[in-house]
Amino acid sequence: MGESDYSFSLTTFSPSGRLVQIEYALNAVTAGATALGIKAGNGIVLATEKRLPSPLMAFDSIQKVSMITKSIGIVYAGMGPDSRVLIKKARKAAQSYYQVYNESIPVGQLVREVASVMQEFTQSGGVRPFGVSLLVAGFDDEGPQLCQIDPSGSYYAWKASAIGKNMVNAKTFLEKRYSDDIELEDAIHTAILTLKEGFEGQVTENNIEIGVIGEDKLFKTLTPAETKDYLTELE
Amino acid sequence: MPLSDFLDEDLSIKGSKSRSNDLDLHELSYSLGNELRVPQVERPSHFIRDAFVDVPEKDKLRFAHGTTTLAFAFQGGIIVAVDSRASMGQYVGSGTVKKIIEINPYLLGTMAGGAADCSFWERDLGRRCRLYELRNKERISVAAASKLLANTVYYYRGMGLSMGTMICGWDKTGPNIFYVDSDGTRFKGHIFSVGSGSTFAYGVLDQGYSYDMSVEDAIKLGQKSIYHATHRDAASGGVINCYHVKEDGWVKISSEDMMIQHRARVSERKAEDEASDAAKAAAAQPASA
Amino acid sequence: MSILEYNGGCVLAMAGKECVAIASDKRLGVQLTTVAMDANRIFRMHDKLYLGLTGLMTDIQTLDQLFRFKLELYAMRENRLMKPKTFASLVSSTLYSKRFAPYFSEPVIAGLDKDNKPYICSMDLLGCVAEETEFVVAGTCAESLFGTCETFYKKDLEPDELFETVSQALLAALDRDCISGWGAVVHIITKDGVQTKELDGRMD
Repeated sequence: MGESDYSFSLTTFSPSGRLVQIEYALNAVTAGATALGIKAGNGIVLATEKRLPSPLMAFDSIQKVSMITKSIGIVYAGMGPDSRVLIKKARKAAQSYYQVYNESIPVGQLVREVASVMQEFTQSGGVRPFGVSLLVAGFDDEGPQLCQIDPSGSYYAWKASAIGKNMVNAKTFLEKRYSDDIELEDAIHTAILTLKEGFEGQVTENNIEIGVIGEDKLFKTLTPAETKDYLTELE
Repeated sequence: MPLSDFLDEDLSIKGSKSRSNDLDLHELSYSLGNELRVPQVERPSHFIRDAFVDVPEKDKLRFAHGTTTLAFAFQGGIIVAVDSRASMGQYVGSGTVKKIIEINPYLLGTMAGGAADCSFWERDLGRRCRLYELRNKERISVAAASKLLANTVYYYRGMGLSMGTMICGWDKTGPNIFYVDSDGTRFKGHIFSVGSGSTFAYGVLDQGYSYDMSVEDAIKLGQKSIYHATHRDAASGGVINCYHVKEDGWVKISSEDMMIQHRARVSERKAEDEASDAAKAAAAQPASA
Repeated sequence: MSILEYNGGCVLAMAGKECVAIASDKRLGVQLTTVAMDANRIFRMHDKLYLGLTGLMTDIQTLDQLFRFKLELYAMRENRLMKPKTFASLVSSTLYSKRFAPYFSEPVIAGLDKDNKPYICSMDLLGCVAEETEFVVAGTCAESLFGTCETFYKKDLEPDELFETVSQALLAALDRDCISGWGAVVHIITKDGVQTKELDGRMD
């Protein structure tokens, strides 16, 4: 990573043993739009706010939920440009795996690959940690899975989780709403309701984005029209 | 076919370049006479070689070379032993080839190299030896017979003949072995082995040979040498054929699968091991009062 | 002589009913000279996955070590055993990664998948996979093995019958090849375990 012998890591220990650069990165995540994910018995849903700084911006030019393989999707909270680097690396890792084994990368392996990249950026010279947390949703032989990766490179599997500005409230909401036998359709409703909590203004099909993986194990991002249908159902 | 056709040239040296025109005409009168037709060009050997230029190595005219043959002389005569595998490259073409050619009741030839070349020319040799016998009222010497063969192959030198043979027999001078090959080489000797497995056979043969050995031991040595060659040399195998050349002609001794020898050797070794184990165990036993 | 034929030897795999067999000869030669009669060219990857390698013995041993290394890392990383089909892809991509300086070995893969369905395939030295449902062969007597397998093969053989069929097919083919033979070994892979039997063959 380093360009010269003098290029040392910016992430260095404080006297008390903390890595403040990572804490700052987490602050950047917390400043980002809320994103959440819920694992259901028969699928997973990812959802995020998609706030536009100006009504003049074209809402359909922004995409916060990305497909990695046909059965894995990622949503982020934090710095958009940083997330693009990670998504590019995740897609590359998935394709390398496919090239060697002729088989889709398992969710766990993909998460490990991405997390190790994020970890590397906390220890290398001349770089800074990524200002994003990721929620990875995937459906493989092991069933539906949801994982969260933080700027430190640590990762955990979740039944439901939230990241970004409203994460604390959202998680409390999810804890109350979640049950182990939840179905995907319910999970999508819960995801929207969770976003609605603490949403500044009215939720529309244009200011949130939803990604789902159903029993067909195929990841897809809902179109505004599909999102609108769910919003209508909730009214 | 008039007898005179033979008498003209039956013992002539094929390499002789002073053939008369009428002999050439007689060559044309039948296709497989006592001389094979050669391309009518200045240098026949170059013609043959050039005909195969640009042909991939694997497609060239090549014959089975894998073989093990041996012959050795001792006080009781000559032992001749051979394997029976005919390989085409690495493919086993046949496992039951007769590689000892019975030229006549007093002469044996062995086969290594091209099977067709060996069998044809050694049969031809048998015919000429018989004619010698009819004309001279006595048997041809092994030296003379082998020289006839050597001259024949020398005449066709460079044209693709492939032979490595041992001419074995008993004449006025006693048991004789001559090694003759398609390069024109001709050696007299006591012990020969020819073929891809010859090195293995030589190893066993040299180790076990003595001029004074009994006929029984000599036969065993010949068979054992071939057995070891079939075991170690991939291109040798099958049946071990063994002949004994005596003063009054040759006799066929045996024709048995090498696996019989192999099993005998395996069980012999096993018995030896068991015996030595038992001996060790007995030695380790503390002497009781 | 091709470098693939320098050491001699062959491998055969055949599918049965919820079982597969993989068998090889035991000769190791240097061209026509037989130097060992206890050569091993079939390797256990896990209980339901075996790899047979023909060709140059030095590359056979290197590939065995390489694939064992890769499989053990995989098992630790992914906490599962590799499926036979996935392993075939791994072997294929590993071989092709040396496209311009290849390993001189043609592999045969035999295993049982999740449902104990037989999986067999063979490959050329660059990694071109040929999946089959009946039998696959490789090595210096591949042609003869095709002939004997074509004659002896029957569908859905039970383990004992499969062993008999594979043994006869292998021994018959070995006798027509100068540089294969000197004994043989047969592994029968079933859902309950692997049976390994040594065969006595001609020693010439």
